This record gives sequence, structure tokens and C-alpha cells, in this order.
Amino acid sequence: MYSVIVVPPSCGNVSEQLRISAGERIEFGRACPGDPYARGSGSGDSRSGRLHSGGSRSGASLSGSGGLAIAHAGVPRVAGEITAHRTFWLLSNLSEDQTYVVENPEGAGEHIKVAPGRVDAPVPFEMSRVTLPAAGDLLSFDVWAPRHAFRSVERQGLEGAGTVPAFALDRTKRYFAVLAALCERRLRGEPRAPLPAVEEIVERLRPSWPKVSRSAVYWNIDYLAVKLRLRPGPDTAEPGRRTHGKKESLASLALRFDLVREDDLVVLAPAPSGTER
Amino acid sequence: MTGRPYAVPVPKGYRIGPWEVREPVASGAFATVYEGVRAASAGAGRTSDAGGLPRRTALKFLPTGTRTPRQLHHLRDLAEREVQLLRRLRSPRLVRMYDTLTVDDPDHPELDGATVLVLERAEGSLDAVLARTPRPEAGPALLAQICEGLHQLHHAGWVHGDLKPANVLLMADGSARLADFNMAAELEGTHAYSPAFSTPDYTPPELLWPEVDERGTRIRPSADVWAFGVLAHLVLTGAFPLPGGTSEARCDAATRYARGREELRLSPGLSEAWQDVLRDCLAPTHAERPTDTAALLRRVEGAAGTSRSARLPRLRPRRWRRPARAAVVAAAVVGVTSLAYTSPWEPDPTTTAPPTCERPVVYEDADGRGYMAGHSGTWDFTVQRGDGGSQVRELQCLLRHLHGIEEVGEVDGDFGPLTQGAVVVFQKRAGLDADGVVGPATWRALREPASG
Repeated sequence: MYSVIVVPPSCGNVSEQLRISAGERIEFGRACPGDPYARGSGSGDSRSGRLHSGGSRSGASLSGSGGLAIAHAGVPRVAGEITAHRTFWLLSNLSEDQTYVVENPEGAGEHIKVAPGRVDAPVPFEMSRVTLPAAGDLLSFDVWAPRHAFRSVERQGLEGAGTVPAFALDRTKRYFAVLAALCERRLRGEPRAPLPAVEEIVERLRPSWPKVSRSAVYWNIDYLAVKLRLRPGPDTAEPGRRTHGKKESLASLALRFDLVREDDLVVLAPAPSGTER
Repeated sequence: MTGRPYAVPVPKGYRIGPWEVREPVASGAFATVYEGVRAASAGAGRTSDAGGLPRRTALKFLPTGTRTPRQLHHLRDLAEREVQLLRRLRSPRLVRMYDTLTVDDPDHPELDGATVLVLERAEGSLDAVLARTPRPEAGPALLAQICEGLHQLHHAGWVHGDLKPANVLLMADGSARLADFNMAAELEGTHAYSPAFSTPDYTPPELLWPEVDERGTRIRPSADVWAFGVLAHLVLTGAFPLPGGTSEARCDAATRYARGREELRLSPGLSEAWQDVLRDCLAPTHAERPTDTAALLRRVEGAAGTSRSARLPRLRPRRWRRPARAAVVAAAVVGVTSLAYTSPWEPDPTTTAPPTCERPVVYEDADGRGYMAGHSGTWDFTVQRGDGGSQVRELQCLLRHLHGIEEVGEVDGDFGPLTQGAVVVFQKRAGLDADGVVGPATWRALREPASG
């Protein structure tokens, strides 16, 4: 039932993500109340400060004592607060004099600034990177709002409460391009075609997304699994089959429920000649 | 009705099997329903039964063709679910399907291959009634019928998956039927797999952002029980049980309620019996909701019985029979190239013409014998100025066409000053208290033959 996921940086494990649902809040800062990891040590990590998630984990209630500890001397003891609200989230900047920046990593520089003391600033991005300046370093962590809702324009004018898909994908996002690339062969009339390997997806996406990498594709596949609340299949227990099983489940789900259709393949660059159609 | 987008535009006068397409009746996300009239050239006679089919039906078009503009193949799944359910289940509270057809018309590529369900023609949906008359007086009785439909469905091992006012149809006799089974799923153990579609305002909190796999969302019968709770609150109070001005806000409130962060505040105007029923139906977790729909039905009937309007009497006695598990219906709907015309149902035993507003007919039911005008079979449903609906329509028909009181004006289903005046005239003539309120005594007099 959660609607917002806070991802500490270099977080390799889903259990380190903090999940909050509407109305719940997470504090972040050098010392979060009740957080055993909060120690004011230096920043060895070049990308960001070391962050630990405190409090209860994986979607459990985090109100009260839980929080995100940012172990950097330049971060205020209580630096700010994240509140889940409906399908988006609010950021409170509790620092004395630092402006926080919330950036849309896919938005070509699109960002919002949250001035010191500002309470409950709404963040409209589905995926965000929160950056805090701290004594010359820039520290950042990610926040996802995977439940962003979209309403079909086709229903305009119809009366009554509409029956809508349980999932809405943003067709302008990179995850949608990844999904389209994943399903392309099957959508082009080969329903039994094998799924492309991650390397092939990278190649397919490169013309429209020059900086695409294997890890970016993996990241988007993982994110899609979170967003679509994919129930892990039985074969995902084996480590080697994990990504393959996820790709397979994503593709069959997307095709079965028409989350991606042949018309949507326009998000990919035109198919190079010689590609099987 | 013009200017509205229809999921499946079908030209007026289009012929499909013995049916001629008339006006569109309703359109949803996936399908469009048109009125169908049996074409004059089809069948032996106009009034006699051609395989037990009525003259007027509802034709539900689902764009399942391969050349429909968007190749939505999940539509085939949605169509198949409805066809499967309606072929296998026939219960008094579920809309009746007479036939399924497949359009074979290469000249209309957007229609070619479409699945057409030939359904019982309803007068309208509960949604339309609520839009005009929030808190209809017949509400409690309708809820009992809706709950009965749910019970019949669950008892047969199916989950509706999309129960809401737009999917409750009201028949000419004022009774309710469940319809639109595109999300319906047959139970496999404790769960059923529903295509991942829902109507947020009627979706239980645990399914607002459901887990999903290739087979869809797992839903339990308790999802329908939650939807019934929402629907009942809306019918009885005119408002949704959870606060919020938009569907998104109400879903948010539902989430907070399920997390124990907000309490359920039912409308204080509800009777204690209804409060109990609704609180149970709207329990925050699926395990707390009543799934024994037979027991729930008894409680709903009890709650409905304590209010002023008793159950709606049926216009005609039940005459539903279990269909023989006919092999005739086995022909696949989708993919059949020629017109698949199957008519497995037993002939309709009603041989006399049904009553109409202009020509009320004497019928006998459990409550008595009298003239019926086809809109409501009530004998005791009190209506007065300001009311509306099928009972008022019935009243207006009887006043105008049986008793010849022209002052009633147009038969519009609204109890306004003209209707009140006509009622007073009638009551004076019949020697009743001329108070303008139509209660049991007035109904009895209305259903008697016109004097002189």
C-alpha cells in the first residue's frame, strides 16, 4: 500500500529501501531519532555521503522513530522530511541556510529548488534525485513515486465511474522505451520470439538514448517490476535466472494487458534495415 | 448523445443476425451497447416467439476483430469472460444473454470480427437513476436485490470484479440485475484472476495497487463485498463512504483507512442495521469482510425491510430454469468466420403481450391481481411530490392511460405539481383521503379497472 520509495545511494538491496504510504513521513539528517547508525564520520564516498536506512524496513511503518541517516558532518542533525501524499510526495527543508534541489534525472535538467525552512513542497516527478549541499560536497539520494496515475483521454465525455487499468505507464519515460524494446519482436508479429538479451536492448535503444548502458537497462527493468508490482515467479529464487525471469514476466504481462502496443514502438528509433519484422 | 465517443461506433440500421441496430444505449471503456430490434423480415411472426427471443434487446458490441483500429487483444479475453459467465450462469439477478454473434462484414473492417452479445433490454442503469435521484426511495429494496445477485454469482463460484452502479441494470418492472461481466473471474480455490482493470472508487484498498503476474490480478470474493459496501453507502446516503472530492482523494483515504490511520465515518443518517452491514462490508482487510453472502443477504434484507419501502414485488413470477448444458453453445465466439448464431434457450413461456404504459394489462402476482403498466409492480411503495423513478412512472401511466386523467401531463417519472393534482383528482373520485400521497390504499385503487 506504500506509494513512495526512498532509495539510499549505493543501495544494492531492496530491503534497504524505505517505503512509506500516504500520510507517513520519513526524517532525514545526520542523526535520526533512534537511529543506531548515526555517526558523524567523514565522507569517503565520492558520489555521496554514506547513508544508512534506519528504523523498520521494507514497507513497514516508519512513522515516529524511523528515518534516513546521512553520515556527513556537513548535514544538519535533522535536515528535512519526506511525506507521502496521495501518489506524490512533499519535501520539507529543515536546514538553516541550505537550498535543496530535487532533480528529475530523465528531465534534461528539470528540477525544483526547495528553500531553507520551506515546509511540504510538493514534488511532481515520478523519479527524483534529492541533492543536499554539505560542506563542499553534494550528497544525494533517490525518491520514487511509482504510483503516479494517468487517466485516459479517450474516456472524456463518458459518464459514470470508469473502469481503468490498474497500472498506468508514462510513455515518455525511459522505462517505457525499455519495455517497448523488450517486447518489440513479439509486437511485430512474432509472438513466440525469444526476448532480446540486455546487450541487444542497449543497442536498440542507443540511437534515441545515446548514454544508455547495461546497468541503466537493468535498473529500468527492476523499476518496472516495482512499478507493476510484479509478483516474483517461482524461478526467481535461482540467482542466475533472476533477471531473465523478470524480463519474461514483464514481457508477458505487458503483452497480455496491452501495456505496450504496436503503435507504441514509435518510442524506439526506426527499426534498422535487416531487422526481422 | 451525439458528440460522445463510442468504443464501437455502429451505424443505425445495421443488421446483425436477425437484429437491427437502433440508438446507442450506453458506452463504456471497452464496449458500446445499442438497442436491438428484431427486424421485420426475420423469423416467422412479429409477435410470436422466434426461438423465445423478445422483440427488443440490448446488443453489446465488443471490438474483438483483428482489424479493429487498435489490436487490443485483451478485449478478446474480456469478451470471453462475459460470454463464458453468461453462458454458464443464469440467475434471476444476473442479466440474461440470449445469444452471441460475431460480425462477419469485411466491408466494415472496424466492425468485422466484433463480438455481439444479445442481452435482455433494461430500462437503464442504477448509475443513471442516481444521477437523477440521489438516495432513491427504492434504494434499500434494490440493494437487497443486488446483494442477491452477488450471492448467486459467488455461490456459482465467480467473482464480479467490477461491481458499481453503472453495472447494475434496472428492468421495466423496477427490479435490479447485475451486468457487465468483463472483469468477472471464476474462483480457483480462494482466488480468481481478474484482468488488471478496476474502478478505483469501488476497489478495496488491498487492490488499489495490486500485485500482478502474467495471469492478472488475484482477487477474492471479498473485493465484491467491499464494492457492495461502497455502492450501498452511495445509494442510501448519496455520498461515498470515504471522504474526498475526487476519486484519487477517496482512494488515498481508503489507503489511509486500511493502514489504520483514519477511521471509517459512515453517514449518521443510516439506520443501525445498515451501519452494521456497511461497517462489515467495508472492513479494512479482506479477511474481516463477510464472504458468506447468503448470511449477508439476510442481513441486507433485514436492514432494507426495516425502512419504509419494503421489497419490490415482482411483476411476474420467476420463471428461470437452469439451462441444459447445451453443446450448441460450444462454438467459439472469437475466430468464427461466418455468423455464429446460437439460440440455446428454452422458449419464453410468456405468451400474452407484456404491459405497456399506454395499455396496462391485468397481472397476478403474490400480492394480488391488478393492472400493471410495465414500470413497477408495487402495491405499497409510497410516492409523493418530489419523488421520481419507476414507481412514479407507473403511477403516471395508470392515471393517464387506465383512469383517463389527462391532467397528469407527460409520463416523465417526476412527481411534480401536475402529477400531484392528478392524484388528488383520482383520490377524490375513488373516495380516498385526497392528500396527494400515493400509499397502499391508493395503489390498490389505481390497479383496479377504471370506473365507468
